[in-house]
Amino acid sequence: MENFLGGSAALFSDPVALTIFFGGLLGGLLFGAIPGINMLTLGAVILPFTVSMDPTNAIMLYSVIYTSGVFGGAITAILFNIPGSPENAPTALDGYPMTQQGLAAKAIGAAVLCSSAGGLCSVLLMMAATPAIAGWAISAFGPPEIFGLVCLGLAMSASVGARDLWHGLLSVTLGMLIASIGTDPADGVPRFAFGFQFLLAGISFIPLVLGLFAVSEIFNQAEERINLGGERPKVSMELPSLLEFWRMKVTVIRSVIIGFFAGILPGIGAVLAAFLSYNEAVRWGGKNSRFGKGELKGVVASETANNAATGAAMIPLLALGLPGGALTAMMLAVFQLHGMEPGPLVFITSSDLVWTVFAAMFFANLLILALGYFQTKVVVHVLRIPFPLLGPGILLVATVGAYALRHLSLDVWVMFIAGAAGFLLRRSGYSVAGVILGVILGGIGESSFTKSMQMLDYNPLLLFTRPITALLVGVALLTIGLRLVEAVRSSRRHRVALANGSQSD
Amino acid sequence: MSRAMRFTGFVAGAAIALCPLASGAQEAPEPPEGFPERPLEILVPYGTGGGSDQLSRAMANAIEEVSGTSVQVTNAPGGGGLAAIPDFMAAPKDGYTMLESIDAVATNYVSGRMEQHPTEDIEPLAIAQITFNQLYIRPDEDRFTNFEEFVEYAQENPGVLTVANVGNQGSMERINMHLLEQDLDFETKQIAFDEPSERYASVIGGHIDVLFEQPGDVRQFLEAGQLKPIVTFFESRPDAFSEVPTHRQVGGDFTALNRFRGFWTHPDVPEERKRYLEALIGAAWETDSFQEFNRTKYMHLVNSYRDTEGATELINNAIETYTNVYEQIGIETRGD
Repeated sequence: MENFLGGSAALFSDPVALTIFFGGLLGGLLFGAIPGINMLTLGAVILPFTVSMDPTNAIMLYSVIYTSGVFGGAITAILFNIPGSPENAPTALDGYPMTQQGLAAKAIGAAVLCSSAGGLCSVLLMMAATPAIAGWAISAFGPPEIFGLVCLGLAMSASVGARDLWHGLLSVTLGMLIASIGTDPADGVPRFAFGFQFLLAGISFIPLVLGLFAVSEIFNQAEERINLGGERPKVSMELPSLLEFWRMKVTVIRSVIIGFFAGILPGIGAVLAAFLSYNEAVRWGGKNSRFGKGELKGVVASETANNAATGAAMIPLLALGLPGGALTAMMLAVFQLHGMEPGPLVFITSSDLVWTVFAAMFFANLLILALGYFQTKVVVHVLRIPFPLLGPGILLVATVGAYALRHLSLDVWVMFIAGAAGFLLRRSGYSVAGVILGVILGGIGESSFTKSMQMLDYNPLLLFTRPITALLVGVALLTIGLRLVEAVRSSRRHRVALANGSQSD
Repeated sequence: MSRAMRFTGFVAGAAIALCPLASGAQEAPEPPEGFPERPLEILVPYGTGGGSDQLSRAMANAIEEVSGTSVQVTNAPGGGGLAAIPDFMAAPKDGYTMLESIDAVATNYVSGRMEQHPTEDIEPLAIAQITFNQLYIRPDEDRFTNFEEFVEYAQENPGVLTVANVGNQGSMERINMHLLEQDLDFETKQIAFDEPSERYASVIGGHIDVLFEQPGDVRQFLEAGQLKPIVTFFESRPDAFSEVPTHRQVGGDFTALNRFRGFWTHPDVPEERKRYLEALIGAAWETDSFQEFNRTKYMHLVNSYRDTEGATELINNAIETYTNVYEQIGIETRGD
């Protein structure tokens, strides 16, 4: 509690911190709400500019963008059936039918309230759990255990945002290949540099992120301009009554739990949290529920869970230095830009920073309630900004950002090549988030594997004599194995169905 | 065993008097025409939070203080300090990019891992830190509580105890350990970590038994009671560690190799820019804020500044020293 008050005081006593806090809050809400472009675009674009910020403010900014960005997409999902970000997709399933039935205000009210409630629960759980987990992690997680966790993270990453398992696995593998370009971490042997001196140092992370997230998004939008249709609906917000909220308590609590646990697993994050929670709501809903046709509980399940995942996703990042998703991967880069390494020791070395970030996430969730109202009024107007103005603007800032960091035009090239690659990858059903996680986790994984091998006399089988490592690697193999079996079965079913279909023609 | 381990002449820091240094505000040196027009960059070949990183960030702040030019620190860890070298060599030779590095440039050059000669193919600007090493254990370690018991345990269980360090074969860390183990007849297993925070967490968390490190880098853990020094690699006991025995006192019959950290530029950078950068580092080193940093890192215990000339001499001597040590203990050198 004392720490939390300290963090809050640090946040509210510094006008710069406060400005950054509100900037992040609004930025996340707006970018979250603009369809197609999302908080990852914003995160990528501002990454190079955080170098000049105070490290606490820079990390805090990302945590606030994360919180408000996850909520921001709910409004457009409900009003236009266009989820601002993938984690808002299940919200549209019931939110949009409600709009068609003239119940938009109610859906928005529930989304605002539940995002805030889910987020607050998650932040409180995070504050209670992270220091303890960090303390435990320091004695439980040596290099072999970190390697096990990275294996699990990679297995999980294969299910983030790709069309199917094969595309997911290939996305992650591509990321790991990119991470291996340069000089090996153990002995300094050049790999995949093809004698090209610029490749000896590897691919710089920030231009890569800018390209994969910001530039590919602009290309994507430029190609298929989203048509929002004529009339902007008149919007207002109607918070659910206490009685209504009370009736949904089971859905809310269940969604908080699902969101929190999905968020805590490296590589999963808010998207899966929302889908899992929606699925469970449908499963528990009974025969008479109206899911898919405008059931308020559908909106509640999805919005509670995706915000509940945000606090939880901070736990592996802060306690172990392992990012759970694309935005937390960018946060890891922010830490590194400022000479810090998140991990169990961060609570000893930068406890002020950690608690300021916790406090900022708490207040960001609280303020969603107030800003939700404001946003519903504003967002409809923001959507009127023509893309031919917005797209090039973002592209310009991204280019400046890529160059500004090292003053190497090489980085601008890397950004545009990554942008074009990201554009093609997305169109073919691959996941750019999977690629980024592959890059980050691949790098951490290789380094922990090298150290583990030195510790274990270069006998990989000894990894399985360490219970946590054995468990984590086992679960990772099982996850991939089960999903492979499932994928093979479904493709066989598909082939059989095709064969039957062609026979009956 | 003493054999030829008693080196005279250079061994970084060994002959240096333990004298606290005067400090004071410094005038900014006069910059050459049109330089610098944008922020400078310090490339650090090690991870964040370690000694090299801490030094570079303190130096960056001090340079900003004396010149108003901002300095950006970029970490490129890996390969025992080698992964960043290509990045540095590829950077434009305009004086904007400086390389921070340590005695590893000498060891890596001597062993043939690094192509570039550390005073010819890359050019030293100044040495900003020369410091001694220690071995640390967890205060709640129950198998041994001091150096004597540590050696006994290691003798009874050869090759079992693990030591976390940052170097590869032939590095300053491994040579010091090798010489100590040879003199005292025990054996440990060396594990190299590129990320400092991971190195410290591994020892504090009980995954690795002993840490080889410089006291300034782990001061916060020493103050928090999470690490305990058991032996100092130095000729005499520094005041701050008067209760810890030196390697000489426990029976090590060799001159300990110290860590040095400095800044390099590319030889093709225009001469006036090189001299300006040298003067800038010198002025930054003398600022009150940098001297305060030095005190918190136990760096005031030795006279640890060398200008370009002094740095060149120190590094060339280090190359000679390591070549001799390698030959004596049978490690291949680039000439072999």
